[in-house]
Amino acid sequence: MQRFEGQVQLVLYPLALNPAANPASEVAAQAAWCAGEQGKFWDFHHMLYRRQELWNRFAAPLERLSDFANDLSLDPTALKSCVESGRMQTFVAADRTYSQQLQVNSTPTLFINEQRVVGFRPEDELMRLMRQELDRVQRPGQ
Amino acid sequence: MAKKSKGRAQTVRPRQQSTRAAVAPQRWRLKLVIGGVILAVALGVGGLVRFLQHSNLSPRLQKAVDQHYTLGTAGAPVVIKEFSDYT
Repeated sequence: MQRFEGQVQLVLYPLALNPAANPASEVAAQAAWCAGEQGKFWDFHHMLYRRQELWNRFAAPLERLSDFANDLSLDPTALKSCVESGRMQTFVAADRTYSQQLQVNSTPTLFINEQRVVGFRPEDELMRLMRQELDRVQRPGQ
Repeated sequence: MAKKSKGRAQTVRPRQQSTRAAVAPQRWRLKLVIGGVILAVALGVGGLVRFLQHSNLSPRLQKAVDQHYTLGTAGAPVVIKEFSDYT
């Protein structure tokens, strides 16, 4: 992102694609929003991926996530009660609806402006796609 | 009289055969035309659906930036929307 300073903006949609089949993804998405309330959204977001194996297969993932919250200087009690209150549910549900409108059927899915990129792509490929899109939008007459 | 009619019948038969032989390729041609029209309509409908889906995508992509966590500059010429599931 730093390479494209002033030219690219990333908007993140923490998605729980199929919460019925995978309730941990719903808990994680809500917890990320809750961490955002404490000003630690991005730290928590990165931690969720870094420690994915340590929480997503557990029956009570929120307990694990609350433990990890300590490491990020988050208030674990506030995080837990935020998720349990369900007040972030509307954000996650709204994003799910939006993703359905855009026919997002798998993750990760990216839209570089209007270009859809489905599945994990190496960093250099993403850089190339971003550069291409920048060239396209900055071309005279666009 | 009988001889005359017999002679007439003999001259008609080969003409009927040639007519039948000419009708067969015409039927095939008709089937090909109908098949082509059906294929063209199907392709047209498919193309139209894809076009409508794509043309609807643009306004939908413009919403929902607010109230989301972002990196980079607001109003940048390139906006990346990332949909990620943590599991």
